[in-house]
Amino acid sequence: MWSEKHRPGSVSGMVGNEEARATLVGWLAKWKKGTRPILLVGPPGTGKTTVANLVAPQFGYDMIGLNASDVRSKSKISEILEPVLGNVGILGSPLIFIDEVDGIHGRSDFGGAEALIKILKNPVVPIILAANSDASNKMRGIKKAVTTVYFKKLSPRLLRVYLRGILKKENAELGPGSIIQVINRSGGDIRSMMNLAQSLETGFTPDTGKSHGTLNVEAGVAAFFKAESVEEARRILYSIGSDPREKINAFYSSIVMAGIGPEARSTMLQAISEADMLYGRIIRTQQWRLLRYLNEILLRVYLPGTNIGYAKYNLSWPVLNRIIWDGKKLRSVSGILAEAMHTSRSTIATLCLPYMLHMMKGGHLDLGLDESHESALRKEMARA
Amino acid sequence: MTIRFPGDCVVCGEKVNANETGMWARGVGVRHEGCVQAKALACIVCGGPAGCGMCEFRDDCDIESVSDICICRKCSEMPDTFSVYQRAAAKKFPLLNPDPS
Repeated sequence: MWSEKHRPGSVSGMVGNEEARATLVGWLAKWKKGTRPILLVGPPGTGKTTVANLVAPQFGYDMIGLNASDVRSKSKISEILEPVLGNVGILGSPLIFIDEVDGIHGRSDFGGAEALIKILKNPVVPIILAANSDASNKMRGIKKAVTTVYFKKLSPRLLRVYLRGILKKENAELGPGSIIQVINRSGGDIRSMMNLAQSLETGFTPDTGKSHGTLNVEAGVAAFFKAESVEEARRILYSIGSDPREKINAFYSSIVMAGIGPEARSTMLQAISEADMLYGRIIRTQQWRLLRYLNEILLRVYLPGTNIGYAKYNLSWPVLNRIIWDGKKLRSVSGILAEAMHTSRSTIATLCLPYMLHMMKGGHLDLGLDESHESALRKEMARA
Repeated sequence: MTIRFPGDCVVCGEKVNANETGMWARGVGVRHEGCVQAKALACIVCGGPAGCGMCEFRDDCDIESVSDICICRKCSEMPDTFSVYQRAAAKKFPLLNPDPS
Protein backbone atom coordinates (compact mmCIF):
# COMPACT_ATOMS: atom_id res chain seq x y z
CA MET A 1 0.00 0.00 0.00
CA TRP A 2 1.44 3.33 -1.04
CA SER A 3 0.36 5.10 2.13
CA GLU A 4 2.42 2.60 4.16
CA LYS A 5 5.24 2.07 1.66
CA HIS A 6 5.90 5.80 1.33
CA ARG A 7 5.35 6.73 4.95
CA PRO A 8 8.00 9.43 5.59
CA GLY A 9 11.21 8.27 7.23
CA SER A 10 11.85 11.55 9.03
CA VAL A 11 9.98 14.65 10.19
CA SER A 12 11.60 16.61 7.35
CA GLY A 13 10.25 14.07 4.84
CA MET A 14 6.67 15.08 5.62
CA VAL A 15 4.64 17.70 3.79
CA GLY A 16 2.56 20.59 5.15
CA ASN A 17 1.96 21.88 8.69
CA GLU A 18 5.57 23.01 8.84
CA GLU A 19 5.08 25.30 11.83
CA ALA A 20 3.22 22.64 13.83
CA ARG A 21 5.93 20.07 13.09
CA ALA A 22 8.66 22.54 14.05
CA THR A 23 6.83 23.31 17.32
CA LEU A 24 6.69 19.60 18.19
CA VAL A 25 10.36 19.09 17.37
CA GLY A 26 11.28 22.17 19.44
CA TRP A 27 9.14 20.95 22.33
CA LEU A 28 10.83 17.54 22.42
CA ALA A 29 14.31 19.00 21.93
CA LYS A 30 13.83 21.19 25.01
CA TRP A 31 11.85 18.66 27.03
CA LYS A 32 12.75 18.25 30.69
CA LYS A 33 10.90 16.69 33.60
CA GLY A 34 7.78 18.71 34.30
CA THR A 35 7.40 20.18 30.77
CA ARG A 36 3.72 20.29 29.82
CA PRO A 37 2.65 17.44 27.51
CA ILE A 38 1.72 18.37 23.95
CA LEU A 39 -1.65 17.81 22.28
CA LEU A 40 -1.77 17.57 18.49
CA VAL A 41 -5.21 18.48 17.17
CA GLY A 42 -6.24 18.17 13.54
CA PRO A 43 -8.37 16.36 11.00
CA PRO A 44 -7.50 12.77 10.01
CA GLY A 45 -4.67 12.31 7.53
CA THR A 46 -2.75 15.48 8.39
CA GLY A 47 0.24 13.64 9.87
CA LYS A 48 -0.29 13.75 13.65
CA THR A 49 0.43 10.07 14.26
CA THR A 50 3.20 10.00 11.68
CA VAL A 51 5.05 12.98 13.18
CA ALA A 52 4.79 11.48 16.68
CA ASN A 53 6.20 8.18 15.40
CA LEU A 54 9.07 9.97 13.70
CA VAL A 55 10.01 12.52 16.31
CA ALA A 56 10.52 9.96 19.13
CA PRO A 57 13.42 8.00 17.55
CA GLN A 58 14.92 11.25 16.24
CA PHE A 59 15.59 12.27 19.85
CA GLY A 60 16.42 8.78 21.13
CA TYR A 61 13.11 8.03 22.82
CA ASP A 62 11.32 4.67 22.79
CA MET A 63 7.73 5.37 21.90
CA ILE A 64 4.98 3.65 23.82
CA GLY A 65 1.84 4.02 21.72
CA LEU A 66 -1.61 3.82 23.23
CA ASN A 67 -5.05 4.68 21.99
CA ALA A 68 -8.16 5.89 23.77
CA SER A 69 -9.42 2.36 24.47
CA ASP A 70 -6.25 1.69 26.49
CA VAL A 71 -6.85 4.68 28.75
CA ARG A 72 -10.62 4.56 29.11
CA SER A 73 -10.64 3.48 32.74
CA LYS A 74 -8.53 4.32 35.75
CA SER A 75 -7.57 0.68 36.25
CA LYS A 76 -6.36 0.35 32.66
CA ILE A 77 -4.29 3.51 32.97
CA SER A 78 -2.73 2.22 36.19
CA GLU A 79 -2.07 -1.14 34.58
CA ILE A 80 -0.38 0.30 31.49
CA LEU A 81 1.16 3.61 32.43
CA GLU A 82 2.20 3.25 36.07
CA PRO A 83 4.92 0.65 35.38
CA VAL A 84 6.30 2.99 32.72
CA LEU A 85 6.14 6.11 34.85
CA GLY A 86 7.55 4.38 37.91
CA ASN A 87 10.52 2.74 36.18
CA VAL A 88 11.78 5.42 33.84
CA GLY A 89 15.45 4.74 34.62
CA ILE A 90 15.16 0.99 33.96
CA LEU A 91 13.10 1.31 30.80
CA GLY A 92 15.45 3.78 29.14
CA SER A 93 13.83 6.88 27.67
CA PRO A 94 10.17 6.19 27.07
CA LEU A 95 7.86 8.62 25.30
CA ILE A 96 4.13 8.08 25.68
CA PHE A 97 1.91 8.70 22.68
CA ILE A 98 -1.85 8.51 23.19
CA ASP A 99 -3.73 8.60 19.91
CA GLU A 100 -7.39 9.59 19.43
CA VAL A 101 -7.56 10.95 22.95
CA ASP A 102 -10.86 12.66 22.09
CA GLY A 103 -12.31 9.14 22.02
CA ILE A 104 -11.65 8.69 25.73
CA HIS A 105 -14.78 7.85 27.67
CA GLY A 106 -16.25 10.89 29.38
CA ARG A 107 -18.11 8.96 32.09
CA SER A 108 -16.56 9.80 35.39
CA ASP A 109 -17.31 6.36 36.86
CA PHE A 110 -14.66 4.90 34.56
CA GLY A 111 -12.25 7.54 35.79
CA GLY A 112 -10.07 7.39 32.66
CA ALA A 113 -10.08 11.11 31.92
CA GLU A 114 -9.37 12.08 35.53
CA ALA A 115 -6.52 9.59 35.90
CA LEU A 116 -5.01 10.74 32.62
CA ILE A 117 -5.24 14.43 33.60
CA LYS A 118 -3.47 13.60 36.88
CA ILE A 119 -0.59 12.06 34.91
CA LEU A 120 -0.54 14.97 32.46
CA LYS A 121 -0.16 17.46 35.30
CA ASN A 122 3.04 15.84 36.61
CA PRO A 123 4.79 14.36 33.58
CA VAL A 124 7.99 12.43 34.24
CA VAL A 125 8.33 11.38 30.59
CA PRO A 126 7.42 13.24 27.38
CA ILE A 127 3.73 12.71 26.58
CA ILE A 128 2.23 13.41 23.17
CA LEU A 129 -1.54 13.27 22.72
CA ALA A 130 -3.41 13.36 19.42
CA ALA A 131 -7.05 14.19 18.76
CA ASN A 132 -9.21 15.00 15.77
CA SER A 133 -11.00 17.73 17.68
CA ASP A 134 -10.60 19.56 20.96
CA ALA A 135 -14.11 20.99 21.01
CA SER A 136 -15.82 18.46 23.26
CA ASN A 137 -16.40 18.99 26.98
CA LYS A 138 -14.31 15.99 27.90
CA MET A 139 -11.29 17.61 26.21
CA ARG A 140 -11.57 20.73 28.37
CA GLY A 141 -9.80 19.21 31.37
CA ILE A 142 -7.10 17.66 29.19
CA LYS A 143 -6.49 20.95 27.35
CA LYS A 144 -5.82 22.77 30.61
CA ALA A 145 -2.88 20.45 31.30
CA VAL A 146 -1.25 20.49 27.86
CA THR A 147 0.18 22.73 25.16
CA THR A 148 -2.02 22.50 22.08
CA VAL A 149 -0.66 22.47 18.54
CA TYR A 150 -3.07 22.55 15.62
CA PHE A 151 -2.59 20.58 12.42
CA LYS A 152 -4.55 21.73 9.38
CA LYS A 153 -5.57 20.10 6.14
CA LEU A 154 -3.06 20.43 3.34
CA SER A 155 -3.58 22.80 0.45
CA PRO A 156 -4.30 21.03 -2.85
CA ARG A 157 -1.12 22.31 -4.50
CA LEU A 158 1.09 20.92 -1.73
CA LEU A 159 -0.77 17.64 -2.02
CA ARG A 160 0.01 17.63 -5.74
CA VAL A 161 3.71 18.23 -5.06
CA TYR A 162 3.72 15.22 -2.73
CA LEU A 163 1.64 13.05 -5.05
CA ARG A 164 3.89 13.78 -8.02
CA GLY A 165 6.88 12.73 -5.92
CA ILE A 166 5.17 9.44 -5.02
CA LEU A 167 4.10 8.77 -8.61
CA LYS A 168 7.69 9.35 -9.74
CA LYS A 169 9.03 6.91 -7.14
CA GLU A 170 6.42 4.33 -8.16
CA ASN A 171 7.17 4.97 -11.82
CA ALA A 172 3.43 5.40 -12.21
CA GLU A 173 1.44 7.93 -14.17
CA LEU A 174 -1.89 9.64 -13.67
CA GLY A 175 -3.29 12.17 -16.09
CA PRO A 176 -3.60 15.80 -14.94
CA GLY A 177 -7.40 15.38 -14.72
CA SER A 178 -7.06 12.27 -12.54
CA ILE A 179 -4.53 14.02 -10.29
CA ILE A 180 -6.92 16.94 -9.77
CA GLN A 181 -9.81 14.51 -9.18
CA VAL A 182 -7.77 12.55 -6.59
CA ILE A 183 -6.68 15.72 -4.79
CA ASN A 184 -10.14 17.26 -4.71
CA ARG A 185 -11.74 14.06 -3.47
CA SER A 186 -9.15 13.62 -0.73
CA GLY A 187 -10.21 16.90 0.93
CA GLY A 188 -6.73 17.64 2.29
CA ASP A 189 -6.21 14.14 3.72
CA ILE A 190 -2.84 12.74 2.53
CA ARG A 191 -3.64 9.13 3.39
CA SER A 192 -6.93 9.32 1.55
CA MET A 193 -5.17 10.92 -1.45
CA MET A 194 -2.54 8.17 -1.60
CA ASN A 195 -5.17 5.43 -1.34
CA LEU A 196 -7.28 7.02 -4.06
CA ALA A 197 -4.27 7.52 -6.31
CA GLN A 198 -3.22 3.90 -5.85
CA SER A 199 -6.77 2.72 -6.53
CA LEU A 200 -6.88 4.71 -9.77
CA GLU A 201 -3.41 3.67 -10.83
CA THR A 202 -4.18 -0.01 -10.25
CA GLY A 203 -7.31 0.22 -12.36
CA PHE A 204 -10.07 0.67 -9.78
CA THR A 205 -12.14 3.57 -11.03
CA PRO A 206 -15.36 4.22 -9.19
CA ASP A 207 -18.05 5.44 -11.56
CA THR A 208 -18.09 9.15 -11.01
CA GLY A 209 -18.96 10.00 -14.62
CA LYS A 210 -21.94 12.27 -14.10
CA SER A 211 -20.62 14.75 -11.64
CA HIS A 212 -22.67 15.74 -8.65
CA GLY A 213 -19.80 17.91 -7.51
CA THR A 214 -18.90 17.36 -3.89
CA LEU A 215 -22.06 17.08 -1.86
CA ASN A 216 -22.30 17.69 1.83
CA VAL A 217 -23.75 14.86 3.85
CA GLU A 218 -27.17 16.50 4.21
CA ALA A 219 -27.69 17.11 0.48
CA GLY A 220 -26.00 13.80 -0.35
CA VAL A 221 -28.24 11.60 1.78
CA ALA A 222 -31.39 13.38 0.57
CA ALA A 223 -30.32 13.04 -3.09
CA PHE A 224 -29.29 9.40 -2.57
CA PHE A 225 -32.78 8.27 -1.57
CA LYS A 226 -34.35 10.31 -4.39
CA ALA A 227 -32.09 8.72 -7.02
CA GLU A 228 -33.93 7.02 -9.85
CA SER A 229 -31.48 4.19 -10.36
CA VAL A 230 -28.78 2.31 -8.48
CA GLU A 231 -26.18 3.88 -10.80
CA GLU A 232 -27.32 7.36 -9.90
CA ALA A 233 -27.38 6.46 -6.20
CA ARG A 234 -23.81 5.14 -6.53
CA ARG A 235 -22.63 8.36 -8.18
CA ILE A 236 -24.24 10.42 -5.43
CA LEU A 237 -22.69 8.22 -2.77
CA TYR A 238 -19.22 8.73 -4.23
CA SER A 239 -19.89 12.48 -4.38
CA ILE A 240 -20.53 12.81 -0.65
CA GLY A 241 -17.31 14.42 0.50
CA SER A 242 -17.64 13.65 4.19
CA ASP A 243 -15.71 11.67 6.70
CA PRO A 244 -16.83 7.98 6.48
CA ARG A 245 -17.97 8.01 10.11
CA GLU A 246 -20.16 11.05 9.45
CA LYS A 247 -21.56 9.36 6.35
CA ILE A 248 -22.47 6.16 8.24
CA ASN A 249 -24.05 8.16 11.08
CA ALA A 250 -26.08 10.28 8.64
CA PHE A 251 -27.47 7.20 6.88
CA TYR A 252 -28.21 5.55 10.22
CA SER A 253 -30.11 8.52 11.68
CA SER A 254 -32.00 9.09 8.41
CA ILE A 255 -33.12 5.45 8.22
CA VAL A 256 -34.05 5.23 11.89
CA MET A 257 -36.21 8.35 11.68
CA ALA A 258 -37.86 7.46 8.35
CA GLY A 259 -41.38 6.06 8.18
CA ILE A 260 -40.53 2.81 6.40
CA GLY A 261 -41.63 -0.77 6.89
CA PRO A 262 -39.83 -3.12 9.28
CA GLU A 263 -38.45 -5.35 6.52
CA ALA A 264 -36.91 -2.48 4.55
CA ARG A 265 -35.58 -0.97 7.77
CA SER A 266 -34.05 -4.27 8.81
CA THR A 267 -32.28 -4.73 5.45
CA MET A 268 -30.98 -1.18 5.53
CA LEU A 269 -29.76 -1.39 9.13
CA GLN A 270 -28.01 -4.66 8.31
CA ALA A 271 -26.04 -2.83 5.61
CA ILE A 272 -25.30 0.09 7.96
CA SER A 273 -24.10 -2.39 10.56
CA GLU A 274 -21.72 -4.02 8.06
CA ALA A 275 -20.43 -0.60 6.96
CA ASP A 276 -19.86 0.33 10.59
CA MET A 277 -17.96 -2.90 11.26
CA LEU A 278 -15.82 -2.36 8.16
CA TYR A 279 -14.96 1.19 9.19
CA GLY A 280 -14.17 0.02 12.72
CA ARG A 281 -11.83 -2.56 11.24
CA ILE A 282 -10.16 0.06 9.02
CA ILE A 283 -9.54 2.31 12.02
CA ARG A 284 -8.27 -0.58 14.14
CA THR A 285 -5.94 -2.04 11.54
CA GLN A 286 -5.25 1.15 9.55
CA GLN A 287 -5.95 -0.81 6.35
CA TRP A 288 -7.27 2.17 4.43
CA ARG A 289 -7.41 0.23 1.19
CA LEU A 290 -10.57 -1.39 2.57
CA LEU A 291 -12.29 1.99 2.43
CA ARG A 292 -13.10 1.37 -1.23
CA TYR A 293 -15.67 -1.25 -0.15
CA LEU A 294 -17.52 1.10 2.20
CA ASN A 295 -19.60 2.85 -0.45
CA GLU A 296 -20.55 -0.46 -2.06
CA ILE A 297 -21.87 -1.70 1.29
CA LEU A 298 -23.74 1.56 1.90
CA LEU A 299 -25.25 1.30 -1.58
CA ARG A 300 -27.32 -1.62 -0.29
CA VAL A 301 -29.48 0.80 1.71
CA TYR A 302 -30.79 2.21 -1.57
CA LEU A 303 -34.38 1.21 -2.22
CA PRO A 304 -36.18 2.91 -5.10
CA GLY A 305 -39.35 4.76 -4.20
CA THR A 306 -38.65 5.18 -0.50
CA ASN A 307 -39.41 8.57 0.93
CA ILE A 308 -36.40 9.04 3.19
CA GLY A 309 -35.01 12.46 3.96
CA TYR A 310 -31.90 13.47 5.85
CA ALA A 311 -32.22 13.40 9.64
CA LYS A 312 -29.41 14.66 11.80
CA TYR A 313 -30.52 13.02 15.03
CA ASN A 314 -31.52 9.41 15.48
CA LEU A 315 -34.03 10.23 18.20
CA SER A 316 -37.26 12.21 18.13
CA TRP A 317 -37.11 15.77 19.45
CA PRO A 318 -39.08 15.09 22.70
CA VAL A 319 -36.71 12.22 23.56
CA LEU A 320 -33.65 14.30 22.69
CA ASN A 321 -34.96 17.19 24.73
CA ARG A 322 -35.44 14.88 27.69
CA ILE A 323 -31.94 13.43 27.36
CA ILE A 324 -30.28 16.82 27.05
CA TRP A 325 -32.13 18.86 29.67
CA ASP A 326 -33.54 16.39 32.17
CA GLY A 327 -30.47 14.21 31.77
CA LYS A 328 -28.31 17.04 33.07
CA LYS A 329 -30.39 17.29 36.24
CA LEU A 330 -30.55 13.51 36.67
CA ARG A 331 -26.78 13.24 36.30
CA SER A 332 -26.44 15.81 39.03
CA VAL A 333 -28.88 13.89 41.28
CA SER A 334 -27.04 10.64 40.54
CA GLY A 335 -23.77 12.34 41.48
CA ILE A 336 -25.15 13.46 44.86
CA LEU A 337 -26.65 10.05 45.60
CA ALA A 338 -23.53 8.21 44.39
CA GLU A 339 -21.40 10.18 46.83
CA ALA A 340 -23.82 9.54 49.70
CA MET A 341 -24.13 5.83 48.95
CA HIS A 342 -20.48 5.21 48.08
CA THR A 343 -21.22 3.81 44.66
CA SER A 344 -20.93 4.91 41.06
CA ARG A 345 -23.30 7.26 39.25
CA SER A 346 -23.91 4.50 36.75
CA THR A 347 -25.09 2.10 39.49
CA ILE A 348 -27.38 4.77 40.91
CA ALA A 349 -28.87 5.67 37.54
CA THR A 350 -29.37 2.15 36.25
CA LEU A 351 -30.06 0.08 39.37
CA CYS A 352 -31.14 2.28 42.29
CA LEU A 353 -33.05 5.18 40.75
CA PRO A 354 -36.03 3.18 39.40
CA TYR A 355 -36.63 1.70 42.90
CA MET A 356 -36.11 5.07 44.57
CA LEU A 357 -38.67 6.65 42.24
CA HIS A 358 -41.12 3.89 43.08
CA MET A 359 -40.61 4.46 46.81
CA MET A 360 -40.88 8.24 46.43
CA LYS A 361 -44.08 7.80 44.44
CA GLY A 362 -45.56 5.80 47.33
CA GLY A 363 -44.45 8.46 49.82
CA HIS A 364 -42.01 6.08 51.55
CA LEU A 365 -38.85 8.05 50.75
CA ASP A 366 -37.82 11.68 50.93
CA LEU A 367 -34.33 12.38 49.68
CA GLY A 368 -34.31 15.97 50.91
CA LEU A 369 -32.93 17.37 47.65
CA ASP A 370 -33.32 20.98 46.51
CA GLU A 371 -36.25 22.12 44.41
CA SER A 372 -34.61 21.86 40.94
CA HIS A 373 -33.50 18.28 41.62
CA GLU A 374 -36.88 17.39 43.12
CA SER A 375 -38.66 18.71 40.02
CA ALA A 376 -36.49 16.52 37.75
CA LEU A 377 -37.32 13.51 39.91
CA ARG A 378 -41.04 14.40 39.89
CA LYS A 379 -40.93 14.36 36.07
CA GLU A 380 -39.28 10.95 36.18
CA MET A 381 -41.91 9.71 38.63
CA ALA A 382 -44.67 10.88 36.29
CA ARG A 383 -43.05 8.90 33.48
CA ALA A 384 -42.34 5.81 35.60
CA MET B 1 -4.01 53.67 -0.92
CA THR B 2 -4.62 54.62 -4.53
CA ILE B 3 -3.09 52.05 -6.83
CA ARG B 4 -0.79 53.63 -9.41
CA PHE B 5 -0.34 50.74 -11.81
CA PRO B 6 -2.84 48.09 -12.91
CA GLY B 7 -2.30 44.50 -11.80
CA ASP B 8 -3.99 41.27 -10.73
CA CYS B 9 -5.29 40.92 -7.20
CA VAL B 10 -3.31 38.22 -5.37
CA VAL B 11 -6.45 37.12 -3.51
CA CYS B 12 -9.29 37.02 -6.04
CA GLY B 13 -7.26 37.10 -9.26
CA GLU B 14 -9.40 39.88 -10.76
CA LYS B 15 -7.95 43.00 -12.33
CA VAL B 16 -7.02 45.91 -10.05
CA ASN B 17 -7.14 49.08 -12.15
CA ALA B 18 -4.93 52.12 -11.77
CA ASN B 19 -6.43 54.83 -9.51
CA GLU B 20 -8.54 52.20 -7.73
CA THR B 21 -8.30 51.97 -3.91
CA GLY B 22 -6.44 48.90 -2.74
CA MET B 23 -3.32 47.67 -1.01
CA TRP B 24 0.11 46.96 -2.36
CA ALA B 25 3.11 45.53 -0.53
CA ARG B 26 6.55 44.76 -1.83
CA GLY B 27 6.95 41.04 -2.47
CA VAL B 28 3.25 40.39 -1.88
CA GLY B 29 1.49 42.20 -4.70
CA VAL B 30 -1.67 44.16 -5.06
CA ARG B 31 -5.09 43.47 -3.50
CA HIS B 32 -8.53 45.01 -3.87
CA GLU B 33 -9.73 47.02 -0.90
CA GLY B 34 -12.32 44.32 -0.17
CA CYS B 35 -9.75 41.53 -0.48
CA VAL B 36 -7.38 42.98 2.13
CA GLN B 37 -8.99 41.04 4.99
CA ALA B 38 -9.20 37.80 3.01
CA LYS B 39 -6.60 35.16 3.76
CA ALA B 40 -4.04 34.45 1.04
CA LEU B 41 -1.51 31.65 1.28
CA ALA B 42 2.22 32.23 0.87
CA CYS B 43 4.67 30.22 -1.22
CA ILE B 44 7.15 28.34 0.94
CA VAL B 45 9.79 28.29 -1.79
CA CYS B 46 9.97 31.87 -3.09
CA GLY B 47 8.23 33.57 -0.16
CA GLY B 48 5.81 35.40 -2.46
CA PRO B 49 2.05 34.99 -2.60
CA ALA B 50 0.88 31.51 -3.64
CA GLY B 51 -1.49 33.12 -6.12
CA CYS B 52 -4.72 31.80 -4.61
CA GLY B 53 -6.76 34.03 -6.93
CA MET B 54 -5.44 32.26 -10.01
CA CYS B 55 -4.99 28.80 -8.49
CA GLU B 56 -6.27 25.84 -10.48
CA PHE B 57 -7.72 24.46 -7.21
CA ARG B 58 -9.41 27.76 -6.32
CA ASP B 59 -12.94 26.25 -6.21
CA ASP B 60 -11.94 23.28 -4.07
CA CYS B 61 -9.41 24.79 -1.68
CA ASP B 62 -10.91 25.99 1.59
CA ILE B 63 -8.30 28.67 2.31
CA GLU B 64 -9.58 29.26 5.84
CA SER B 65 -9.07 25.66 6.91
CA VAL B 66 -5.86 24.67 5.13
CA SER B 67 -2.28 24.97 6.36
CA ASP B 68 -1.04 28.59 5.91
CA ILE B 69 1.85 27.75 3.64
CA CYS B 70 1.40 26.60 0.06
CA ILE B 71 3.47 26.77 -3.11
CA CYS B 72 3.02 29.09 -6.09
CA ARG B 73 2.40 27.75 -9.57
CA LYS B 74 5.88 28.69 -10.84
CA CYS B 75 7.68 26.94 -7.97
CA SER B 76 5.36 23.93 -8.17
CA GLU B 77 6.38 23.37 -11.79
CA MET B 78 10.11 23.10 -10.95
CA PRO B 79 11.76 19.72 -11.56
CA ASP B 80 11.85 17.56 -8.42
CA THR B 81 9.52 19.96 -6.64
CA PHE B 82 9.31 17.90 -3.46
CA SER B 83 13.06 18.24 -2.82
CA VAL B 84 12.81 21.97 -3.53
CA TYR B 85 9.93 22.14 -1.04
CA GLN B 86 11.91 20.19 1.59
CA ARG B 87 14.93 22.47 1.25
CA ALA B 88 12.72 25.57 1.52
CA ALA B 89 10.89 24.16 4.59
CA ALA B 90 14.21 23.35 6.29
CA LYS B 91 15.46 26.87 5.56
CA LYS B 92 12.33 28.56 6.88
CA PHE B 93 11.96 26.22 9.87
CA PRO B 94 15.52 25.24 10.89
CA LEU B 95 14.15 22.73 13.41
CA LEU B 96 12.94 20.66 10.47
CA ASN B 97 16.41 20.56 8.96
CA PRO B 98 17.73 16.99 9.25
CA ASP B 99 21.30 18.14 8.67
CA PRO B 100 21.87 21.56 10.32
CA SER B 101 25.50 21.66 9.17
